[in-house]
Amino acid sequence: MNKNGSRMLWLLQVVLGILLILLLGVHWIAQHYLAAEGLRNYAEVAAYLKQPIILALEITFLVVITAHALLGVRAILADLGLQAPLQRALDATLWLIGLFTVLYGIQLVWQIVHQ
Amino acid sequence: MKGRSQWFEFRLDSGGMLGFMLHRLTGIGLVVYLYLHLALLNQLRQGPAAWDAFVQTMRSPWVLLADSVLLFGILMHGLNGLRLTLLGFGKFLRWQQELFWSSFILAVVLTAWGMLAMH
Repeated sequence: MNKNGSRMLWLLQVVLGILLILLLGVHWIAQHYLAAEGLRNYAEVAAYLKQPIILALEITFLVVITAHALLGVRAILADLGLQAPLQRALDATLWLIGLFTVLYGIQLVWQIVHQ
Repeated sequence: MKGRSQWFEFRLDSGGMLGFMLHRLTGIGLVVYLYLHLALLNQLRQGPAAWDAFVQTMRSPWVLLADSVLLFGILMHGLNGLRLTLLGFGKFLRWQQELFWSSFILAVVLTAWGMLAMH
């Protein structure tokens, strides 16, 4: 990847990181400080996720944290000086892992909300 | 960009190098935790009885201890990430060591406060 592309990915990582501070803050406070005894039971999880704004926030959180995590993994592995074909294979693998992660999360949430 | 050999140059006198290593180590730890967390959430598919029993297990002292390590990792990664962002934009370059140690101390204090507030 050229220098401009690397810079854009770095900027994307920064933007995702700042978003993550806000979204993770909401997630942590909601799950550990607002929940009785520090964690929600099943009925509370379902009721929490059935609120449209919360559902949108949690799915956005999942997308942002997955993208930030996998871009971070990519940056660490790219520092090892990978050859171009290996770098392309890594990028494709990370895309697949990311898509699988987000689909898994959405499917899980869908199941809880519709049970 | 730091080459792979620099990963192993552990120098306590360099806040920059320590910050670089700690950022990556906490990042790797948090990625592992993210996927562990997602796998454990699969318990929700088993229904209320399985989830509520699982939640009881998660309230054990050992898990709470692990929670404090997790909270420190999150705070350190976030604060150090903000520091690295500032440095990446060419801001506060002369203060990078002070910023690193401030991030570290703030992460320790916020972890202690966070754990006390949680329980």
